[in-house]
Amino acid sequence: MRRRGISLYGIALSALALAAVAVPSYAAGFGIFEQGSKAMGMAGAFTAQADDGSAMFHNAGGLAFLTEREVSGGLVLFHTTKAEFDGASPFPGPNAHAKQKTLSQLLPHAYYVQPITQAWKFGLGLEAPFGLTTEWNPNTFAGRYISTKAAVRAVDINPTIAWQVTPTFGIGLGAIARVSDIVLERRAPAVNPFTQQVIDVAGVKLESDLENGYGWNVGILNKVNNSFSWGLSYRSKVKIDYEGDGRLTQISSGNAQLDAILRTRLPFDRDLPIATSIEYPDMASLGLAFALSPNLLLETDVNWTGWSSFDKTTIQFTNNDLPSSTIRSEWKDVENYRAGLRWTTSPTTEWRFGYVYDETPQPEEAVSPLLPDADRNGVTLGYGRKGNSCKADFAIMYLDFKDRTRKKTFQGESPFLGTYQTKALLASATISF
Amino acid sequence: MRRYSIVLLSLLALALPALGQADFTRYVALGDSLTAGYQSGGLAFSISRNSYPALISKQARPGAAFDQPQVSEPGIPAVMELRSLAGPTILPKAGGPARLENAPLVRPYNNLGVPGANVRDTVSTVTGGLHDVVLQSFSPALRGKSALAQAVLQSPTFVTIWIGNNDVLGAATTGIVIEGVTITPVARFEADLRAIAAAINQTGAKMAFANIPDVTTIPFVTTVPRFVVNPATSQPVLINGQPVPLIGPNGPLVAGDRVLLTATTELRAGKGIPAALGGTGQPLSNSSVLNVAEIATISARVAAYNNIIATVANERGAALVDVNGVLNRAAISGIPIGGVTYTPAFLTGGIFSYDGVHPTSFGYAYIANVWIDAINAKFGTHVPPVDLSPFVFGGASAAAGALTANDTDGSNYFSVLFSDEAKHNLFSSLNISENPQPPPGGGRGGRGRGGRRH
Repeated sequence: MRRRGISLYGIALSALALAAVAVPSYAAGFGIFEQGSKAMGMAGAFTAQADDGSAMFHNAGGLAFLTEREVSGGLVLFHTTKAEFDGASPFPGPNAHAKQKTLSQLLPHAYYVQPITQAWKFGLGLEAPFGLTTEWNPNTFAGRYISTKAAVRAVDINPTIAWQVTPTFGIGLGAIARVSDIVLERRAPAVNPFTQQVIDVAGVKLESDLENGYGWNVGILNKVNNSFSWGLSYRSKVKIDYEGDGRLTQISSGNAQLDAILRTRLPFDRDLPIATSIEYPDMASLGLAFALSPNLLLETDVNWTGWSSFDKTTIQFTNNDLPSSTIRSEWKDVENYRAGLRWTTSPTTEWRFGYVYDETPQPEEAVSPLLPDADRNGVTLGYGRKGNSCKADFAIMYLDFKDRTRKKTFQGESPFLGTYQTKALLASATISF
Repeated sequence: MRRYSIVLLSLLALALPALGQADFTRYVALGDSLTAGYQSGGLAFSISRNSYPALISKQARPGAAFDQPQVSEPGIPAVMELRSLAGPTILPKAGGPARLENAPLVRPYNNLGVPGANVRDTVSTVTGGLHDVVLQSFSPALRGKSALAQAVLQSPTFVTIWIGNNDVLGAATTGIVIEGVTITPVARFEADLRAIAAAINQTGAKMAFANIPDVTTIPFVTTVPRFVVNPATSQPVLINGQPVPLIGPNGPLVAGDRVLLTATTELRAGKGIPAALGGTGQPLSNSSVLNVAEIATISARVAAYNNIIATVANERGAALVDVNGVLNRAAISGIPIGGVTYTPAFLTGGIFSYDGVHPTSFGYAYIANVWIDAINAKFGTHVPPVDLSPFVFGGASAAAGALTANDTDGSNYFSVLFSDEAKHNLFSSLNISENPQPPPGGGRGGRGRGGRRH
């Protein structure tokens, strides 16, 4: 694996990035909104609160109001309880049924908050706002020539500075250094000239190096009074150019003659330089928080994600070892809607509840084994407890994806029709000192 | 009262079958070898059971009977198979003789596709070649009745008509364009097609027509390069950096000339190859080459036929299936299915069978879906598409050949040997003369054999 085009900074960050694992996509597209247990307990409706370290992700303006040094870290468990596909005609047909490999993954988050003065605060966040893994049985899945595995890993290092302009108004500004890599795997088909039927002749693996890109984020939080606050947050696009290698591993056809011919025509068992790029979308959030009583707070958020940046992905074999290919996405900008309820039952204890409706940015024609995205509803339950020197927050989330059926195809593209069903359960714990 | 009428009408509408304006109760298919399900130079039920009409019937009326000739293995003529990739050898399957296993029926077949039939044959031919099999000329009840007559006899409710390929195919496969012999005059084509449409229209059946592919784009015509190829590398021989053209009947072949699949026998004997490169220096025969003028004549004639087909279909309120468009697109960008791209390439493309003319089982299933799409669009029906999976991965009938795993020399993969026996079988079954001659005083199409060849 070559290493090129990575700054020293990127190399330094890569060790941290490797700690993050790829996960199934849980926010629409392949975004991940679960970056802290407190916010997750309220389904991410946190822009107008942003009162812990995860403010660096949810609203940097909230960092301005934090008064004590704090180190926090946690894990989110992503568990797919159902990820199945039922085919439709003309291809792969109603007899095609497949399950994704069970996916249970842990994703870390970590934050460091350091007040500089009473008004100025510094923070450093480690977040994984994007990620994706889909994985199908490469030997039996009818869509194995499209994808058997797709994995995107992206970790943000997010240094942030915040200024409490007035006792009720704070603003924060952050830099985003995103470290990411991609793995794509599939099978390569060929028509067996003896049977005139399709056989697998190679396994294809495309693996990028660890690459990086840069962006920024800004947020404001206005605590208008004891009963109402609002927040606005924005995270910029980040474009990452990936380089890496592809590799073809021959699969025997069972016919030595045919295998010998294929060996002369396909570049098996050597590194084939590749290049591609992804422009990760920008995101904006508006949150309104209302204190319904001294112990009860309701927040409603609307989040916008500019997924139209994810239009197509071109994978180039830079030495022309194989033809380049383009995956059409043609995603659209979308919103999601979140509501969270915080119930303070004692000075040290909180219960949290939430609901999210998340729109998919993916048009029907782009639904594929690479990423079968869907609109989804999620409900959450959270619990938080403060001790003398630490606090602990926990949350669980149940995500119910709407069945996603593809009946149509982009002009000239490969039909792979059917219905995807996905359900997921998430659990999170965050400890702060 | 009016309200009740509306309710009753609504209930009636709900009770109607979900097949819109088309009724497949008595579905009949008229056509040629493509309709019969002919593949790899032969007609065998192991393959033709998945002819496109059979697949349409199965989708429109699952479980309903759809009778076709059931020819046993190895087929009539014997279906060809690929024996080896070393100097690829395509030969008819051994065994036989094949027989018609479902004879005698007391009524005509639903599938009246007769390999080798042209438009005139559909109207009037009653015997000869595979007509005897498909038209059951041995049956006293059916003897003397053409395919069209047998279609009418069934009082069909729906008829598909894909005919006209053999009105021009002979010119492409013999390399000889002779008006009235290998290529049907336009006026005669139109008159016969109108006669078919009129007769079917009289029955009240709904119709769907398919146009015909440009036969100059099929692997039979496009596979063999016009340059001398090094058999060890399958790459063109270069002299001063330039490929060396083969020698045609009128000298070195030029851009646009095509060498037919059947020329591989002559090439193996050294014909068409300059003596300096190890050949005999003798030119390829006329029947091995299509020159530019002949190709232009054939393509123009296909376009003329297709205009007539479209006009007649429109006049009769029939669906029109653009098979020509589908295959042209396949030639440009392939047919993508689930990450597999099918192409018209010979042996490796997956669309055309070993004769270089007729589709594979996948090709027929794909074409069936093109028919279904057109029928649904025209008549508002909801015939579901054919599941292509068995044709992609196996499980449906296929032209399975012998695997010769011990032979590892595949260097001649693309210098195809299309055996004399295979050529003879193909031509005879399609009623194509291997050496067509112009009729006394007859004309020749375009700048064909008599024209200046480059």
